[in-house]
Amino acid sequence: MSVSILDRPLPQRLPQGEGRRRITRHARLWLWCYAMLLPVMVIYAYVRIWPIARSFVLSFYNWRLIARVRPFVGLANYEHMLGDQNFHIAIWNTTVYSLGVVLISTVISLPLAVLLARRSRMSAVYQTIYFLPVITPLVPMSIAWKWIYDYNYGILNYLLSFVGIHPIAWLTDVHIALWALVIMGVWKVLGYNMVLFLVGIRNIPSTYLEAASLDGASELRKFWHVTLPLLRPILLYVLVTATINAYNVFTQVYVMTLGSQVAPGQVTRVLVYDIYQNAFEYFRMGYASAEAVTLTLIVLGFTLIQFRAFRERETA
Amino acid sequence: MTGKSPFGRALGRREALALGGAAAAVAAIPAARADTKLTVWTGYPEIQPVYQAVAADFAKTHPSVSFDFFSTTLREFEQKLTAAVPTGTGPDVYDIGTNISVNFIDNSLLDPNPPNIDAYMKSGPYDKFTVDFFTTDGKTYGLPFLEGSRASMYWNKTYFKEAGIAAPPATFPELIEAAKKLVKFDSQGRMIRSGISLRLSGQGSGIGEKFRYILEAAGGSAIEKTPSGKWHNGYDNQAGRDALTFYVDAVQTWHIDDPKVPHDADAFATGATAMLFRESWVIGEIQSKNPNLDYGVVPIPAWKAGMPHKMMLQPEGVYVSGQSNNKALAWEFAKFLTNQQNGLRLTEVTGWLSPRQDIDWKPLLVKTPQFETFVKPPPDIVYYVEPVLPPWDEIESRLADRLTAAYVDPSLKGNPQAIAAAIHSMAQQTDQILKDAGLYGTA
Amino acid sequence: MRPGFNRRQLRRRASALLIHVILTLGAAFMLLPMVWMLATSFKLPGEIAVWPPHLLPRVPTLANYQGLFQAVPFPRFFGNSVFISVVSTISVVITSMIAGAVFAKYRFPGRTALFMLVLATAIVPFEGYMIPLYIELVRLHWINTYLGIILPTVIMSFGIFLIRQHVASAIPDELMEAARVDGASEWWTFRRVLVPLSGNAMAAVGIFAFIQAWAAFIWPLLVANTPQLFNLEVGLTAFQFRFSTDYGKLMAGSTLSTLPMLIVFLLLRRRIIENMALTGLKG
Repeated sequence: MSVSILDRPLPQRLPQGEGRRRITRHARLWLWCYAMLLPVMVIYAYVRIWPIARSFVLSFYNWRLIARVRPFVGLANYEHMLGDQNFHIAIWNTTVYSLGVVLISTVISLPLAVLLARRSRMSAVYQTIYFLPVITPLVPMSIAWKWIYDYNYGILNYLLSFVGIHPIAWLTDVHIALWALVIMGVWKVLGYNMVLFLVGIRNIPSTYLEAASLDGASELRKFWHVTLPLLRPILLYVLVTATINAYNVFTQVYVMTLGSQVAPGQVTRVLVYDIYQNAFEYFRMGYASAEAVTLTLIVLGFTLIQFRAFRERETA
Repeated sequence: MTGKSPFGRALGRREALALGGAAAAVAAIPAARADTKLTVWTGYPEIQPVYQAVAADFAKTHPSVSFDFFSTTLREFEQKLTAAVPTGTGPDVYDIGTNISVNFIDNSLLDPNPPNIDAYMKSGPYDKFTVDFFTTDGKTYGLPFLEGSRASMYWNKTYFKEAGIAAPPATFPELIEAAKKLVKFDSQGRMIRSGISLRLSGQGSGIGEKFRYILEAAGGSAIEKTPSGKWHNGYDNQAGRDALTFYVDAVQTWHIDDPKVPHDADAFATGATAMLFRESWVIGEIQSKNPNLDYGVVPIPAWKAGMPHKMMLQPEGVYVSGQSNNKALAWEFAKFLTNQQNGLRLTEVTGWLSPRQDIDWKPLLVKTPQFETFVKPPPDIVYYVEPVLPPWDEIESRLADRLTAAYVDPSLKGNPQAIAAAIHSMAQQTDQILKDAGLYGTA
Repeated sequence: MRPGFNRRQLRRRASALLIHVILTLGAAFMLLPMVWMLATSFKLPGEIAVWPPHLLPRVPTLANYQGLFQAVPFPRFFGNSVFISVVSTISVVITSMIAGAVFAKYRFPGRTALFMLVLATAIVPFEGYMIPLYIELVRLHWINTYLGIILPTVIMSFGIFLIRQHVASAIPDELMEAARVDGASEWWTFRRVLVPLSGNAMAAVGIFAFIQAWAAFIWPLLVANTPQLFNLEVGLTAFQFRFSTDYGKLMAGSTLSTLPMLIVFLLLRRRIIENMALTGLKG
């Protein structure tokens, strides 16, 4: 069965009329598409595309938020960005964070979903427990994690002491702090990915898996050769959305690095924090917009790569 | 747990109910009779109950006025205000720091005070320092609402007695000696009680602010104003180097503080540190978290004998929006909010200080004597204020970013040249920000 | 031959046990911060700040929950959150289904570009464009209205994306062709074929939309000026003071805030993992 649904031409079965009737039929189809999409797209244009476009345009101005005067400065904001050390650090940190969270959470949540896809009472309980972090409010959870990571009396170091590991300065060590945040990020998003994989797994016709079993395939081979390929579209979704969300991380980093127990230097500075600081603390809205545009382009780049890599292919 | 002294988080049941009742009374004023509605926004969620109580009193003499309040955390509050005010959807009255108000004034979103308010402000309730703080280009803007700093030194009397130290330190050398005796380590050599809780790490301009407590004591300042009204850095000098050396030595040489122990108000309240430089709100924290703590408050020590004690002032104002439709009424409310009685109420209930100099503080001091240094500082203290200029936030934040790395940098330990180089580099960054803003000058 | 333990069965049982152990450890890891939040909601301020900290309260108290209801109009905030989230969820599910299905199953000029635009605008951080959006709202006079708060939440790019992925992979073209050959209109195909087969993806979109709407913070804060319109997230900032936090009440409010989302998840969970495969479906 072909999987490249999006690349197939219109089915041959449509009655082939004369040239003109064929065109009308296609045109009628397109019209229907546009008609269905129109209300959705109109709303979308108004609440997303239009404000984003305005923001994009503003990145070429020296807009100080409340100033009446907004001189056009062309690429000056972008030039300034090239020399802005805080911005570079933020890009580096956010990229490392993003790769860490996306890869680790995907690698863990996929087998997890396969395990929990069976219908049993225990799997229902596990599904709920693993999904719980997703629905917890971010600020209290960040506070909880600060406590867990505490050097002297956090529970993580306490448990590690049982296995003879010395206390680790989770949030205050320059090398570890970002990874401590990655762990928290994985914790938050694991259940979300799991649910999505469950949806995908559920759509694999059982006949395929049965046939593979009959052929004598082990669980692992079934997973690798049947399940995984059929999960490509969902896998793409998970990777893309996880990347986008990870690049937009802000609140939890802000809360966990607030106050006085923090790693020195700028090891936990993230992009959206930089944008927020420039926009609302320094009142450089134009510059913040330029940063936002750059963030968008970077993530868009990753997204396109992922789409390319997971493009649905023809199978025999 | 209801505290003995009813303010801060430990609002006694009675007080909470009274304030709640007052708020309900305000809300219950029949809409039919309300000719005007005043919208009031504040960036202090803990002060909103006071606003509501003041409004209830105000309504007694102005029965046709009703109120709408809004409060949230500072970061979001500033975002909301800066979105709403320029678009005309802002409140009639709001409190905000000068970092924002100076921008509003710059862009004509705030009007100068009407003549009666201006005269009232200069007629005695506030000292000249404070009035000058709210003056831009010769005109006053806003009314002083609360004093956000007057940071002083909290000291743990029990620990001092234990260590055999008779009195809190009056100079920094004394402080260092005391801290060395007060710091405590466990059997594995980890610090479990710091001698003094310095601000070593964290986000934002707070680090810069706490650094200034020591910098100012040593005789320097973050930025200096020239006679012609321009600015440049004030710490690329011996004072700046001394201040940074103090921090580096505190962490790396004398070991009286460490980034890994708990810090700040919570640490002092629960006994994880013996000394702390902080503002008056810590009193409320101690009340609710450890009311039996035996502690005192004295001015921050002088750098050495013969030099003055210095104290930071950070007044915050309440403003009437330039776009309000009820300016006269709003100003009446603002004046009422900041009168003697309500100033005392503000401090009693929330621990935030009223900047008025004509309040009788006896009722408060009887209950909580630790307030004395805050509300009646010794007369020989030298004050310094937050500079009021648009890039100030950025200057302090960027300085903070560099300082946190410096404090724990081992190459700075015992190395005066490296410290001088680090200070010089930070000062250059400060000057650059001033140059970018067109405010730099050395004459 | 006597049935009994053989090597294979033993190994299978051991691996099953191992899996359970790992899952349980993982579950403990997942639950730990929530246990802390719950425990803290029953602690007095002295116990919360104490150092060294302990997990469970020594003197449990209901004072935080009582204080929560006294300090803020909690039911009102809660009700607002419910209202906003329900409206948003319904709207998002509908718009995602429509747009996602069209993007997945139909080729028309501009499809790829339009879809990429939808995805690209999902990448931009909200902080980046919320001021222009706010200015639009001022123009509409929708500041401090429910309409204004709900407006940006009626649509969710990730929802469109998810439906598109699901429909593209799980629903074969043959089904639609069959319907067309039988003379069905496009609308009928959409309504009677695509929608029913997307039940579990729609449920997933539903729960995610609900969570996103419930947790919305900065936008409702910008738009709402009077407490009548506050949602729970905005309302709970009453306990975050300038330099300190009333952890007890904040945790109490947050614990209560988690419950509706938990309920929605439990309701939708079976739908989400339901087998939507085509076996048994009549042509």
